[in-house]
Amino acid sequence: MERETEIMTEIQAQPTTTITPALRGPVAMQLRDVAVSFHGRTAVRDCSFDVVKNRVTSLIGPSGSGKTTLLRALNRLHDLTPGAKVSGQILLEGTDIYRGNLTVTELRTRVGMVFQRPNPFPTMSIYDNAVSGLRFNGIKKKSLLDEAAESSLRSAALWDSVSSRLKVAASNLSGGEQQRLCIARALALEPEVLLMDEPTSALDPVATLRIEELMTSLKSRVTVVIVTHNMQQAARISDDCAFLLMGEDRAGELIEFDTTEKIFNNPVDSRTLDYTLGRFG
Amino acid sequence: MSDLIELEEPAEPSNSSREEIRRISDNARARRIAISRVMVALCGVALLIAAVPLVALLYQLINKGVGQLNLDFFTKLPETPTLIAPNATGGISNAIVGTIALTLYASILAIPVGVLVGVYLAETDSKFATTLRVIAQTMAGAPSILMGLFAFSFVVHDLNIGFTAIAGSFALAVLMLPVIIISTEIAVRNVPNSLREAGLALGAKPHKVSTKVVLPSAVTGIVTGVILAISRAVGETAPVLLVIGGGFTNSWQPFNPVSAMPLAIFENAKSEWPSQRAQVWGIALVLVAFVFVLSLTARIWASRKQQVRN
Repeated sequence: MERETEIMTEIQAQPTTTITPALRGPVAMQLRDVAVSFHGRTAVRDCSFDVVKNRVTSLIGPSGSGKTTLLRALNRLHDLTPGAKVSGQILLEGTDIYRGNLTVTELRTRVGMVFQRPNPFPTMSIYDNAVSGLRFNGIKKKSLLDEAAESSLRSAALWDSVSSRLKVAASNLSGGEQQRLCIARALALEPEVLLMDEPTSALDPVATLRIEELMTSLKSRVTVVIVTHNMQQAARISDDCAFLLMGEDRAGELIEFDTTEKIFNNPVDSRTLDYTLGRFG
Repeated sequence: MSDLIELEEPAEPSNSSREEIRRISDNARARRIAISRVMVALCGVALLIAAVPLVALLYQLINKGVGQLNLDFFTKLPETPTLIAPNATGGISNAIVGTIALTLYASILAIPVGVLVGVYLAETDSKFATTLRVIAQTMAGAPSILMGLFAFSFVVHDLNIGFTAIAGSFALAVLMLPVIIISTEIAVRNVPNSLREAGLALGAKPHKVSTKVVLPSAVTGIVTGVILAISRAVGETAPVLLVIGGGFTNSWQPFNPVSAMPLAIFENAKSEWPSQRAQVWGIALVLVAFVFVLSLTARIWASRKQQVRN
């Protein structure tokens, strides 16, 4: 009994299990003590882990644990939020994305984002949506755009169903198709990392399955970081997994980071086990 | 898992209290139905009261106006009746040309400035923007004769341009500006933030997001506001009364005196000749038709906006 207590204290003495040696492979992004606050109130803190290349990293945790807040820090989407402050270090290929020699627009072409609700540009056609990122960045040559449109729509498993109606407004697509168009739009810029913020939470199970298959197939060319509420989804599709939880001061913090297999089968922290078993959250 | 809450067996309500609940709720329902019928009847009466003046106005306008309309009415210049020809009123072509010219120049002056200011107000949050917004809102409620006075003292007098179409257009432009600014701001603010974020997340610079994403999404709302501003300007008498000089030719020149339909109504209504007083209804009918077509266009645009949203 005494020995068990001792082990518990030892675990709590180092609450944030950081980069585990089990994770091998080249690193796409590194997070070092990342914290995000709004008007001085911390929303998420103590996040240190490596996003390994060509793997899917999932961020899981109950509502309010700061998953989305953390994800949005990775391509500086907090920049325009008044009062938002990101501290710590986020490195992309070794360059600090907040202080390094990297403009915010370049960062966002290298780190793409897919949002919770499908948000294709409603005034643009399917084709215009697919190449919108390239056009925003000054590419006008039609041959380049045509090529990028086809390859990105193919990568998003959308080409076969839309190739005959590329000039149709994107709002005519179904919810699942719109979300795949948003993925295509992000892929057209050939990003190194693709951030996905609960990309299937607004979709039905069939559309969800197709997006999940897509993510697995995209792994070879892009590193994926996904926020999900759905633990089965995290278990199905992710290779690595970060578990976040809201602390006593209502700020989210990283509890544990490891391979998905370890997080779900043999976690170090008892709270991770409780969450993955569905005891709370 | 030992801290599960133990649930007590719920107590069944007795038959007598069930019956009482049913009786009270039946009574309450009957009372609500009665109140609802009375309210519907009251609304119907209010509708009739509101409809009477509107229908009477339209009836009088059409009844007295249609008889005035003929080809000469639209194509000829006005004439002054004489004792020999007391019904020779001529047409109102100068007033129609004047109204179109005034509105056209006013639109050229007001639309670009108004839309740009509206976008600025929607996309920034500075003290300056707040001040500008308050000014625009105050101006929107200002009496329109004020714009006429301002145009008179500034354009006609200070700039020494004289009684001209451009002075009237200036007055109308000042009148239109707040309407365009406010409706543009609302249209731009109504563009979902998720679209701005989508643009930014693709590496677009903020000005690109404004021009390529936000403005195209807001354009139907902006156009609706602009058309409403124009249709308001078309019918305004007070701002042009003091400054356009009442020209008697078909002049499109901005630096000539012009007439306008509201002004022609104002002048003819004061005439000693019954034929000229009767002509007023014809002019009014044409003016209302103008405004009606413009509002209808605005409505069609607005419904297109709905479709885009859906």
